[in-house]
Amino acid sequence: MTPNLSVDVGALKLRGPVVAASGTFGYGTEVPLLERRALAGMVSKGIFLRARAGTAPPRIAETPSGMLNAIGLQGPGVEALIRDYAPKWAEWDLPVLVNLNGESASEYGELTARLDGVPGVAGFEINISCPNVEQGGMFFGNDPRAAAAVTDAVRKRTKLPVWVKLTPMVSDIGVIARAVEGAGADALCAINTFVGMSMDLNAYKPRLSFRTGGLSGPAIRPVAVHLAHQAARAVRIPVIGIGGIARAEDALEFLIAGCTAVQVGTATFVSPTAIAEVHDGIAAFLRAKGFGSLADLPRYLLKD
Amino acid sequence: MFAIGMRAPEVAAAVRAGQFVNLGWAGPLLRRPFSVYRSHDDQIEVVLKAVGAGTSQLLAMEIGDRVSCLGPLGRGFDLSTGARSAVLISGGLGVAPMPLAARDAKAAGVHVTWVHGARTATELCAESDGEEVVWATDDGSQGVRGSAVDAAPDAGLVLACGPNRMLAAVAERWPDAQVAVETYMGCGTGVCLGCAVPLKRGGYDRACTEGPVYRAADVDWEALPSHLPYAVMA
Repeated sequence: MTPNLSVDVGALKLRGPVVAASGTFGYGTEVPLLERRALAGMVSKGIFLRARAGTAPPRIAETPSGMLNAIGLQGPGVEALIRDYAPKWAEWDLPVLVNLNGESASEYGELTARLDGVPGVAGFEINISCPNVEQGGMFFGNDPRAAAAVTDAVRKRTKLPVWVKLTPMVSDIGVIARAVEGAGADALCAINTFVGMSMDLNAYKPRLSFRTGGLSGPAIRPVAVHLAHQAARAVRIPVIGIGGIARAEDALEFLIAGCTAVQVGTATFVSPTAIAEVHDGIAAFLRAKGFGSLADLPRYLLKD
Repeated sequence: MFAIGMRAPEVAAAVRAGQFVNLGWAGPLLRRPFSVYRSHDDQIEVVLKAVGAGTSQLLAMEIGDRVSCLGPLGRGFDLSTGARSAVLISGGLGVAPMPLAARDAKAAGVHVTWVHGARTATELCAESDGEEVVWATDDGSQGVRGSAVDAAPDAGLVLACGPNRMLAAVAERWPDAQVAVETYMGCGTGVCLGCAVPLKRGGYDRACTEGPVYRAADVDWEALPSHLPYAVMA
């Protein structure tokens, strides 16, 4: 018997626990190879009100079991997203959340107001954790008042699900988690990339032109499991685990640690079918353990 | 320079000159892109040098070992321009896409001249497929002393692949040349935006999707890094 893998992230019902992470799945139209049956939802590449060129190359550097990226939220701006991609999403059988970015709380609000009600837009993921922009991004994510202000600006302009993607670059993720929960977030996504740096031994300078980049991949997984667990302990709303998930076993660690769902990111770069493999592997695990549903999976979660 | 052949029937049947495959094996996290060097029956070949841990692992493989091969990817050379003659300029491992380009050019009735450049004779590639060949070495140890770009004759169609500095020189002499650029690459499928190629008109596009072949004058060569620790497209 196939176990029931559906999950409820607040009011949003997903057919499975595996969502494509922002920035690793484009606008969902680029990777034709993925078996979409396994995809429970997608978070779009991060969008700003206006088009952004992104950072100069080199933008990526491989590191042990991971990679650094500094793409700089290259994107066409919200009007192009509404024109070119949302109509496609409206025909899909899975929800697409738009990853929101701005340089001020009011920009996040303006972006939300523009996107709310657009067919194909099922919800929002607030990015207050991008390490690769000069303004905004992570700076909102490591101050509880700023994080709450951005969440509030979005919340006031939509009734759709609002997720907030947290940065790991904080001393206590629980403080930020509670602040955005208090401002009306429906769910938290933990975590975005760590800020990292790697040096070119021939050029005697950083390997990335932006100097620093966001570290992702299996290298960050144990730290991500811990931070997602800490966030889940701190709040009552669902937490979606992210960080180095490449296999079902990785996803199950986050789920046992208290997460409701997971996002797969960098693994999609390595294998366009990674999401399907994670989804199918979770089903196989539950079957082997005798669970009829993902909801039966024991969780290790002691609330603060 | 080493050539590695692999059974990849779908790629072999579909690949066009200048396209690449993204290869994965137990070792590095990310795949590595390689131009398809040859294609025959159900086999393809790629060429590489041992430049790092990843390529050393690939070269240490035994016959019968498996690699994950994603492709063919990217936009290749356009050989249907109506030109009657083509010059294929390669620097070092930049020879990688040229045998397929020569095959397709000859099939279209285009006269082919190969131009091989390298630092020294031992690094030169011997590829010619029986066509005219011009050699150029920086130290003069074989053929013309100097760059492959200087040694190349004019032709209706100029195709080039090699270090980005060489391609910048191609752009100076033949703005309409088709050049295959090398960049770092993440996914190879258009989603990570890691393989950004800076354009003269401003902004970036993706070597894996809009490229890796560009009209030479369209690339902002000043802004494209020219020293990569591993030769990506070659």
